[in-house]
Amino acid sequence: MSRLRTAGFAAGLACIFMSAPAPQAAAQNVAIQGGTVLPISGPAIESGTVLIQGGAITAVGRNVTVPAGTPVVDATGKWVLPGLVDAMSYYGLSGADLNETASPSTPHLRALEAYYPFGAFGDGEPASPPRARDLLMGGVTTHYIAPADATVIGGQGAVLKAAGSTFDDLVMLEPAGMDITLGDRPAATMREAQRSPGTRMAVIGHLRQELVSAREYRERWEAWENRPEADRGPTPSRDLGMEALVRMLRGEMPARIQANRITEIRAALDLAREFGFRLILDSAISATEVADELAAAGVPVVLGPISHPWISGEEIPDRSEYPSPDERRAARLHAAGVEIAIASFSRSFGTLGPEGSGKWLLLDAGLAAGYGLEEAAVLRAITLTPAEILGVEHRVGSLEPGKDGDVVILDGPPLSVLTWVERVFVEGVEVFVRDE
Amino acid sequence: MPLHPLSLILGLGLLGCLSTAFNPVHAQDVAVVGATIHTATGDVIPGGTLLVQDGRITAVGAQVEVPQGVEVVDATGMTMIPGMLDNHSHIGFAIGDVNERSTTFTPRYRIMDVLSPDDDYWFEAVNGGVTTIVTGPGSGSVSSGQSAVVKTWGPDWNARILDPTGGLKIAMGAKRPHTGTSMATTSMLREKFTQAREYMASWERWESGDGEGAPPARDLDLDVLAEILRGENRVRAHVHSAHDILSLLRLKDEFGFQLALHHSTEAYKVADEILARGVDVVGLPLFIRIGLREEVMRSPAYLVERGINFAFHTDDPVVMSKHQRYNGAMAMRYGMEGEAALRAMTINAARIAQVDDRVGTLEAGKDADFVIINGPWYELTSRVERVYVDGRLAYHRAVAEEENP
Repeated sequence: MSRLRTAGFAAGLACIFMSAPAPQAAAQNVAIQGGTVLPISGPAIESGTVLIQGGAITAVGRNVTVPAGTPVVDATGKWVLPGLVDAMSYYGLSGADLNETASPSTPHLRALEAYYPFGAFGDGEPASPPRARDLLMGGVTTHYIAPADATVIGGQGAVLKAAGSTFDDLVMLEPAGMDITLGDRPAATMREAQRSPGTRMAVIGHLRQELVSAREYRERWEAWENRPEADRGPTPSRDLGMEALVRMLRGEMPARIQANRITEIRAALDLAREFGFRLILDSAISATEVADELAAAGVPVVLGPISHPWISGEEIPDRSEYPSPDERRAARLHAAGVEIAIASFSRSFGTLGPEGSGKWLLLDAGLAAGYGLEEAAVLRAITLTPAEILGVEHRVGSLEPGKDGDVVILDGPPLSVLTWVERVFVEGVEVFVRDE
Repeated sequence: MPLHPLSLILGLGLLGCLSTAFNPVHAQDVAVVGATIHTATGDVIPGGTLLVQDGRITAVGAQVEVPQGVEVVDATGMTMIPGMLDNHSHIGFAIGDVNERSTTFTPRYRIMDVLSPDDDYWFEAVNGGVTTIVTGPGSGSVSSGQSAVVKTWGPDWNARILDPTGGLKIAMGAKRPHTGTSMATTSMLREKFTQAREYMASWERWESGDGEGAPPARDLDLDVLAEILRGENRVRAHVHSAHDILSLLRLKDEFGFQLALHHSTEAYKVADEILARGVDVVGLPLFIRIGLREEVMRSPAYLVERGINFAFHTDDPVVMSKHQRYNGAMAMRYGMEGEAALRAMTINAARIAQVDDRVGTLEAGKDADFVIINGPWYELTSRVERVYVDGRLAYHRAVAEEENP
């Protein structure tokens, strides 16, 4: 009896130690062997090995020496990909937290401050370590979140990992973009409240005014800083929203502008030239009409789902905003030399789909292949290209030495509808296993 | 772009001018050879032949003799499936016409009255291989009117209409105008069907009497309910929750009407009750941007295994009708056997729409509505190459992409 008790006590102690994050480091070494490795940054490797040490990839290839004692995962007959990158989602933001509609512009808001990746509040899911299970089951290991599209300037977005040992670990880049929406969606919000801007032109007029104000704010501060210290006087008053817009004007974060009609895409391009900020177009249903211009200007496009091009909060699309669904737009933009990412724009739909549709990113991208985008380009559009667009390509998006050990194992060819994500590793730690 | 049906008429019209007499449009004769044919009757025929004569299928099989002069289309390496059906869609009319929100109970309305033959979305649907659609009013009121069963393509609009009054839409649940709770909605339906019985009885009394006195006042809404009570028409019910499904089943027990559940999100929770009454289930589109919970994704496979007659719908514009094929694909992903998934988009749907004598399988005697796909029908990476309706080529990808690169 007493020996058993002692053993139990020892096991208890082990549990206490195991709950601290440090022992996880031991699990951050792993060799994934025998699968068809699709590194994205290079050609496919049959019977390849991905070696992860200390959470980072140290070798990828056919003949990789695995140090003794490294845990080995047999991926024979499987496909091995980098963790997918979803360049736009609202995962982890509750419906009530998507839009702050009291004002047409709220650049000071940060999506990160509403992020709750632990399932419905109070449903008993463990909050630690954080696991965005609905993303992981779709192979998504990195995602961008932002306030949604019911106002003109929604606020600041963030790039997050879908799993980590602590919440702090999840945050890769923040602020990672200023979320802006043109078109009728923000106009409708304000129209309903009988306020301006209530038309498409007023939306653009309002945005230009905000940008001019930000430029003046910046000049006011720079003038103050440039005066000799003795003559400076009190500081100009601070405005957190203006500060955020100034960071965008300085190029410290891009503008993520959702624009669908051709007039609004042109307005976004004009504003980017006029104010000199870095532009990323979101959704951009009509982008094919200005594909050459986008390619020349180096403006990337984060496409909404191929199957459901409308991305607003409505269950049913507003056909004035999304006139001609075209499954070939990914292929057409790619052919014209435009950098494209395919994103989920997933959001919670009440009790029917509380976690959004990010879990189907790979399936939706598969449809782009049916409509003419070659497989390598499809896979790049959900891995390396979005990583580049988000500015995290030094860490994720491909299987290359030096990058984070974020790996997905599939049980079949990547673009088959019958293929499932079997296992997911984030920084070398197994964070998802499919239960059959 | 799909082939515009008018081009056929114009082309033949010109021929008519050249010859001595005008020739009416004849559906094509065609033989498609070499494809793997999924007939939706349970047969899969590798390298089969489908023979079409005057717009009808005359033979399907591995060994079919093709009469001389019939155009032969080589579909070697391709897959052929029946033209798909979509049991619940809102295409063919302005989206603003979907719900008459000022009224609560209007069975007299007919979607047929506002259908437009050249709505773009018919073309979208046929391009995706969907050849027959049940389109109807929405769920904004307890009863919003009657749906129509229509082919998505063809030179003759009237010939496209398979049933102009194909089922009465009712909507369960709370917050229909003037019904703040599910109880009130169910109660209103019970009241209306009770009235309809009385209405029928008063007409029967008048008809069986000596014809004296004025006939009862006609009520167009109760006329529709009377048809339903006589079994001449049927109910298609918008319903999500298990308790509303049970309420519908109770109403069916009380009044004895034909019933199909639509959307049917929680049908899997009351499968036994549904099965016991032989009620059809039209299930949620699985290829949807709402990230449905995994148990809901698996539920169609479960319902089919239980033996329920199950079909998919798109609820276009929620999911576009042209994407119907992907609902079957997702059902396979979530455990449904392949041929069963195909039946859920073809023959099962045709039975529910009561047009299974015309469409839904590839069998001799049926309309020659079929789809040729360049790979397995269920893969998202496969594309529709050709679609035939009544033996006429309605979509040809090579031509469409040449016109619109």
